[in-house]
Amino acid sequence: MLNKNVVENTLSAALGSGADFAEIYMEQTKRNSISVVNGKVESVQSGLDYGAGIRLFFQNKAIYGFTNDTSEKNLIRIAREAAAAARGDRVYPLQGWQRMDLACRNPIQIMPDTVEKNRKAEKLYLAAEAAKNYSPLIHQTRTGCLDIVKDVFIANTDGLWAEEQRVRSRFTVEAIASSATEKQSGHLGPGGSVGFELYDMIDVEEKAREAARIAVTMLGAKPCPAGRMPVVIDNGFGGVIFHEACGHSLEATAVARNASVFAGKMGQQIASSVVTAIDDGTIPNGWGSAAMDDEGTPTQRNVLIENGILRSYLVDKLNGRRMGAKPTGSSRRESYRYAPTSRMTNTFIDNGKSTTAEIIANTEYGLYAKQMGGGSVDPATGAFNFAVLEGYLIRDGKIAEPVRGATLIGKGMEVLMKIDMVGNNLARAQGMCGSISGSIPTDVGQPMIRVKEMTVGGRG
Amino acid sequence: MLDRQALQKQMIVEALKCGFTDCEVFYLGGESFEVLLMEGEVSNYENSSEAGIAFRGTYCGRTGYAFSERLEEDCIPFLIDSARENAMLMSEDEHEDLFAGEAYLEFSGYYPELERVCVEKRIQLAKRMEEAALNGAESIASLDYCVLGIGKREVSIVNSLGLDISYTKNFASSYVSAIARAKDETKKGSAFWKGTDWAEFNPEETGRRAAKRGAELLGASSVNSGTYQVVLDGKAMTSLLSSFSGIFFGENVQKGFSLLKDRVGEQIASSCVTLRDDALLEGGYASVPFDSEGVAGKNKALIEKGYLKTLLYNRKSAKKDGVASTGNGFKAGLTAPVKTACTNFYIQKGEKTLEQLFLQMENGLFITDFMGLHAGTNGVSGDFSLSAEGFLVEKGNIIRPVEQITVAGNFYTLLKDILAVGEDLYFSAGGKGSPSVLIKGIVVAGN
Repeated sequence: MLNKNVVENTLSAALGSGADFAEIYMEQTKRNSISVVNGKVESVQSGLDYGAGIRLFFQNKAIYGFTNDTSEKNLIRIAREAAAAARGDRVYPLQGWQRMDLACRNPIQIMPDTVEKNRKAEKLYLAAEAAKNYSPLIHQTRTGCLDIVKDVFIANTDGLWAEEQRVRSRFTVEAIASSATEKQSGHLGPGGSVGFELYDMIDVEEKAREAARIAVTMLGAKPCPAGRMPVVIDNGFGGVIFHEACGHSLEATAVARNASVFAGKMGQQIASSVVTAIDDGTIPNGWGSAAMDDEGTPTQRNVLIENGILRSYLVDKLNGRRMGAKPTGSSRRESYRYAPTSRMTNTFIDNGKSTTAEIIANTEYGLYAKQMGGGSVDPATGAFNFAVLEGYLIRDGKIAEPVRGATLIGKGMEVLMKIDMVGNNLARAQGMCGSISGSIPTDVGQPMIRVKEMTVGGRG
Repeated sequence: MLDRQALQKQMIVEALKCGFTDCEVFYLGGESFEVLLMEGEVSNYENSSEAGIAFRGTYCGRTGYAFSERLEEDCIPFLIDSARENAMLMSEDEHEDLFAGEAYLEFSGYYPELERVCVEKRIQLAKRMEEAALNGAESIASLDYCVLGIGKREVSIVNSLGLDISYTKNFASSYVSAIARAKDETKKGSAFWKGTDWAEFNPEETGRRAAKRGAELLGASSVNSGTYQVVLDGKAMTSLLSSFSGIFFGENVQKGFSLLKDRVGEQIASSCVTLRDDALLEGGYASVPFDSEGVAGKNKALIEKGYLKTLLYNRKSAKKDGVASTGNGFKAGLTAPVKTACTNFYIQKGEKTLEQLFLQMENGLFITDFMGLHAGTNGVSGDFSLSAEGFLVEKGNIIRPVEQITVAGNFYTLLKDILAVGEDLYFSAGGKGSPSVLIKGIVVAGN
């Protein structure tokens, strides 16, 4: 994307004041999205994100600048201005280039930018129709599709020269059921590092009916009772519990500042022994997969927790320096507007030994969270919260009536220790994760799990 | 990279040649500076500039959009082709009229002095804030964040109807968050300052405020589940109000995503509630002379003494309801179409001090923070169930901090259940605000 002279001159300017490392990241991202409300196109958008970011390290200090004027003159200006913000004790030489050969993790069958928008819109109409026809209680639908083709270029003064094209597609559907006084919604958003073949892999009508089913079920649900009780969280998006309760606190961003409850706990037990958790950026065509991370380290499979024992953090170059740890291929950013930092890719709790039937049957009374909504966590305190999209009470070892408006709260460490059963139906689901380096695609996942006791919030 | 105005004008000429009957080029540019401190040292430093254009125009009677952050001549054919293809998917009745403009009030949002303070001085200010936070209370163990920055934003709209308007605004801001520790308990307190004059920034006060809040929260425990009267402080109420601001948008009401259909003129809130959206508020963080469609900013009462007076409109949703745009047609960014958004959106302050609110409540909870608002709120039904923290109040006095509770309710009901409004109007960095409010009864889950 940039020629060698421009890169060398820019990086040399960056090294001028004694930075010991300099990096240039450039991207061009083509985006297309269509949004359909109640079966009618509401917006269609196409565009080009374009820009470059320059990052300098002076030992453990980082300086970042970005621009979308990528002329040589301006890149050198940005590099010089950045370099002027700090001073090192000697000038480091520029290394020779080593072009990186990247494994192709995500083969694409149908490039999304070659598909006519009409064909994409047709999928959305189909889904809208299917959701509406599910029940007369469905009064509104929103369906959407999004695809991006992102070309990334990274070069740094260690001699790295790497390029990657990342393609992602996602379909979203939301169905809203309403009665005279109430509205409830259900939504799903499957996607992956795939092209238009996404629509051969999923049945949009089936997804739409599923969203509608959740909305209709919740419309008839009573408010969830509040209090402390056992909670069974189902597979797929249920993995958001691990993402929030634990994943964020394992990011070096928090660990290096000693602002994580898991700092200094390597090799120690931080979860119940039935828990093994993995972050794997190499899963073929995974939503959070890529060949390399956003500072050019190849992605890898990181076992974070093995049978309850903390085995690895998620580490980027800068925080790796601060912690004396090796990067784990986990450095990510939304775009050139953000300096990269350690983030999750595809994160999940691995299969355990229980069956889903055993888990339910062994729970006398509790909450069954079939579909989870989103949530958030404060890595410093470990306190998290998340919403239950579709929930039921469990009575006498059987799934009983649906309940709505439930929230789960707790602290990461406590909940991890209280997971007492892990099922064998691992599934992943797609989400967008927001943090200091922007909003990035990540997979969450798990089999069905049971937490012995949790605080459930609700109005019942 | 091409000059902004040259590119905007050239783009319009080319688009008209390619069959667009009208069109508009919206430009968004910005510069930002940010410094992050860690243990007395600059740990991250950022200096950046960005710009992009968003095009919209009428093709075959339909509106098409496209955008680009690449500001070179070669992006023009891409924008035109994409916008034409996109327009053909839209229906004609969703067509967006362009606006030729109107009279605008003078707008002073740009303070060049702000940027003239040298980088060393800015870093010094951040260091003073950091030190004050670290020393603000004995229990402060470290800082989570200590950041200071300046942001500048330039907006320009040029269209084929002759509109050619622009404004620039800038702000300085700082944020600090302190970690308080005691035994195996960790709490966080944060504070921010945002303004247009460095002389008004008191780094020591901001730092101490963060430390004090963190320290106060130590020793927290849950409360028994039950129904409590609560005082929501300005920050907590603002976050709730922000989450549900969409219910006041005309376009959401039209599409059935709000329960305020046909409610204008009716009482929807307690008579002590007046809610405003004021684009012209002096010094307001979200003040603008005009919206993304070129409609002049206005000061509106959405709720006046409990009665719903108006919804917020952009030009398209206003036309559907046969009213005038309220100047709330905004693009959330280059990539976004014109939708509805708030400007300075706040509950007007009342007369009670926080102490008076506590006395009126007698026994209950003082909630200072909600977490997980993006997940725990249902923008359509108004239901919310949120993790919260704050303090237990007995006989009008704060007894102890409270954590690990959830507060559940319904926003529409909550508006009616406001018993009293405080005098301590708070504004978030995004321009939304509220004073502390006393709420009748709310379901709390704890022990």
